[in-house]
Amino acid sequence: MEGTELAVQVVGTWLALVLSLILLPSAFGVSLGISEVYMKILVKTLEWATLRIEKGSPKESALKISASGGIIQRDESPMEKGISGHRGRDFELSDVFYFSKKGFEAIVEDEVTQRFSSEELVSWNLLTRTNTNFHYISPRLTMVWVLGVLVRYCFLLPLRITLAFFGISLLVIGTTMVGQLPNSSIKNWLSELVHLTCCRICVRALSGTIHYHNKQYRPQKGGICVANHTSPIDVLILTTDGCYAMVGQVHGGLMGVIQRAMVKACPHVWFERSEMKDRHLVTERLREHIADKKKLPILIFPEGTCINNTSVMMFKKGSFEIGGTIYPVAIKYNPQFGDAFWNSSKYNMVNYLLRMMTSWAIVCDVWYLPPMTREENEDAVQFANRVKSAIAVQGGLTELPWDGGLKRAKVKETFKEEQQKNYSKMLVGNGSINTESS
Amino acid sequence: MGSSQSMSEEVRELVSKTGFSSDQIEQLHRRFKQLSGNQLTIRKENFNNIPDLELNPIRSKIIRAFFDNRNLRKAPNGLADEINFEDFLTIMSYFRPIETNMDEEQLEHCRKEKLRFLFHMYDSDSDGRITLEEYRNVVEELLSGNPHIEKESARSIADGAMMEAASVCVGQMQPDQVYEGITFDDFLKIWQGIDIETKMHVRFLNMETIALCH
Repeated sequence: MEGTELAVQVVGTWLALVLSLILLPSAFGVSLGISEVYMKILVKTLEWATLRIEKGSPKESALKISASGGIIQRDESPMEKGISGHRGRDFELSDVFYFSKKGFEAIVEDEVTQRFSSEELVSWNLLTRTNTNFHYISPRLTMVWVLGVLVRYCFLLPLRITLAFFGISLLVIGTTMVGQLPNSSIKNWLSELVHLTCCRICVRALSGTIHYHNKQYRPQKGGICVANHTSPIDVLILTTDGCYAMVGQVHGGLMGVIQRAMVKACPHVWFERSEMKDRHLVTERLREHIADKKKLPILIFPEGTCINNTSVMMFKKGSFEIGGTIYPVAIKYNPQFGDAFWNSSKYNMVNYLLRMMTSWAIVCDVWYLPPMTREENEDAVQFANRVKSAIAVQGGLTELPWDGGLKRAKVKETFKEEQQKNYSKMLVGNGSINTESS
Repeated sequence: MGSSQSMSEEVRELVSKTGFSSDQIEQLHRRFKQLSGNQLTIRKENFNNIPDLELNPIRSKIIRAFFDNRNLRKAPNGLADEINFEDFLTIMSYFRPIETNMDEEQLEHCRKEKLRFLFHMYDSDSDGRITLEEYRNVVEELLSGNPHIEKESARSIADGAMMEAASVCVGQMQPDQVYEGITFDDFLKIWQGIDIETKMHVRFLNMETIALCH
């Protein structure tokens, strides 16, 4: 029938176009410049939109910026200064002031929970989902927005889904095929090729533009690569520039298929769910892996959970106890083009991928930092903090000492008691009591 | 996405009642929604999600202060079950810093209100007096984390402080005179001449529009 013939023809030409313009070039690491043109147009459009919003909004209710500095200026003075005392002073009624003030500051604004939701934008980027504060400005802006919706959902989304489909199937097929070969250097070379190609295709599937800085510090074999975690896409971004051995739990479903295929081609470290609880086992296996200098560097995200890319939270010390050289990497996304943060309590994986594929683009910077090793008088926690600071400074993120696990769990009792201990130490010194002489 | 016009009526009312600017009120409203989980009222349980607050030794007293009817100016005693946004702002306004353009009377009033807030925190049974028991209770809470201090020591600290307060308020006491507790007037007397303004305020930023740098 004519209808089906036409449809087949359309799909056919579509696939041919995709293949020639996108798949083949990215397989060879060549860029035709289409995405650069797209990004230029996008940037111009967003700049124009920003100017329109600025001009169009009335004087009093102009752009409401919620800087991450927030609404209050916290009093950062330590407890000693706040209570204006010296050791062994007596209790005063006013001491309650200091704690109530701190309590109020915490209630008005809390450094931690705001990290578990998406960063707020300074200026609207024409995506409905980021429109929290911006009001109707002008018909032209609305038209551009409608055009944007059409472009994103009707053109970009199918394109990206096609690419992603190709990318993942190529990965599974490729790694399975390579896995059949006997262990040799050719096998390694081939598996690297397959990995890189498929990752490049998948990155195109998200319209990703990645800038790598300091490539000379790229992680070497036998080392551990450590990075801040914002979303599952971090993995994709890092593996486009080099091959890593992943560490993680075995999943079911599509992820499981991918994992099993990948491990055939080159050794990754996948754990069963029950094994993850046994820290010794995990450490041992990781040690074995890095001891073999021919194996790929391990990729670990020490925060343990996704944070919204405005800050770096506590690095769990487990990864820093293994030994070996640590290669820190800082990843910073540009939120103007698309929000990469995965709020796992709000969106599931499919929903998240859909949102990713309907954003404008994913733009990010990756900085490779010089390798670090644990010094003699440092313990794992101090080392972890040192690495964390380096990453935070490079990426322009704030550092927080809090544990990312607070997303789901409550503060540990030991932390709570810290403050009380400090205060009581101030009052009474360590154990001796300073009572009024009566 | 709503327009700013409809908010302005209620916002203006709140501005005049509590002294916050409209920008600050809008910010606090977002925080309120975050704490309440997008409900119209906050209950005690909603304060359990703040990690910073967990570290504070007197957190239960602070949370209680939000629901105290005396602070909400609704009744002379008792606790409310839940508070709405206006109540939230009322409590927040106790911690506003002293404005530079206040006159003597306003300053005095402001100071009194802050001290009254503090008094309510100590006086948990709302009888208008801070008794020895209540005082001990506060000291114990503040010191409870330290394993080196036993209850006895916390008590003696409280007792000592109470005696000092008594001497300030009542002067020399007869041997069989019992000091009933610190009333609000006594409380004010203790604080006379001492500058509490810097200790009991939270610096709210003025959310002026910030020009975008290109």
